[in-house]
Amino acid sequence: MKNNSFLFGLQKSIPIGIGYAPVALTFGILSLKSGLSIWQAGFMSLFVFAGASQFIAVQLISQGATIWVIAITTLIVNIRHILMSFSMLRFFSGIPMSKLAFIAQGITDESFVLSAKLLEEIPTPEERSRVAIGVNLGAFCSWVVFTFIGAWMGNQLTINFSGFNFALLALFIVLTVGTVSRENILTYVIAGVLAVILKYLIPGKMYLLLSVGLAAAIGAWLKHHGKTAVGGE
Amino acid sequence: MQEKDYILMILMMTGVTYGARVLPFFLFREKEIGGWLKTFIQLVPVALLAALVIPEFVLLPDNHFSLLNPFLFAGICTFIFARRVPNLFLSVLFGMIVFWGLDKII
Repeated sequence: MKNNSFLFGLQKSIPIGIGYAPVALTFGILSLKSGLSIWQAGFMSLFVFAGASQFIAVQLISQGATIWVIAITTLIVNIRHILMSFSMLRFFSGIPMSKLAFIAQGITDESFVLSAKLLEEIPTPEERSRVAIGVNLGAFCSWVVFTFIGAWMGNQLTINFSGFNFALLALFIVLTVGTVSRENILTYVIAGVLAVILKYLIPGKMYLLLSVGLAAAIGAWLKHHGKTAVGGE
Repeated sequence: MQEKDYILMILMMTGVTYGARVLPFFLFREKEIGGWLKTFIQLVPVALLAALVIPEFVLLPDNHFSLLNPFLFAGICTFIFARRVPNLFLSVLFGMIVFWGLDKII
């Protein structure tokens, strides 16, 4: 089962890989248009591996922003990863830090929601860590490889299949089907409403951290302090 | 931007991003988490799903509200399909094709 767990995760990451490909291609193309080299674009994907912040960085570079502004902006956009890592801890009791440090690099919105769903049904921390590595590595490879391809192709390429724009959203919707239950639907609704309002009001990605943090906190509070208030119970 | 500055920028971006990813593992590994906090971390995935999906259905890229958009319709179709066909890959593919079709019409 040891190797199977990894391959299982890798196989499940295919929809993420498909969803990342056009975004990474676009990032590669855009980077070159903004004056970066193929290597600069590729290495940003390799090390940073966080889509939105990479697009913002490229835009800031072309506007002549200082590296401090770019670093702080990146922090604001990516601080939400704390919540995801924190939430993943429960799956990996007893797993050595060296392995966790490797898993950590692959945590994104997409790999996290997929892993959170898959790992619930995997019995041991060891197998869970292998599934998580498979999921993360599949997503990571797609992002990095397609950044390089996009940068290498420059602007010779036009993608005509708009379905790619929907791939990641489709993945999230499919995961919703298996994740939302009577127990947590209230949190889902609160998070959805907050996200719409906050996304409308605040530019950037900060709405994700705020709506997820607030909704999970409210959901957990209701469960512990007001059981009658939780839908269906 | 000079090569040296670019490398420094990548390092800083990596530092803050990877830091956010790895910090909880460092701080809370092997700590017993129970009670409210345990429920909180269990609810993060479902809350994130909502936060990633719902705004895309009602807010267009230029940040104005609309219910008549291919994202919402394709989303509903994908949801119904995924309930009937429990296969991640097929459901995602289905969603992409429906979206592509709707995008041509709307």
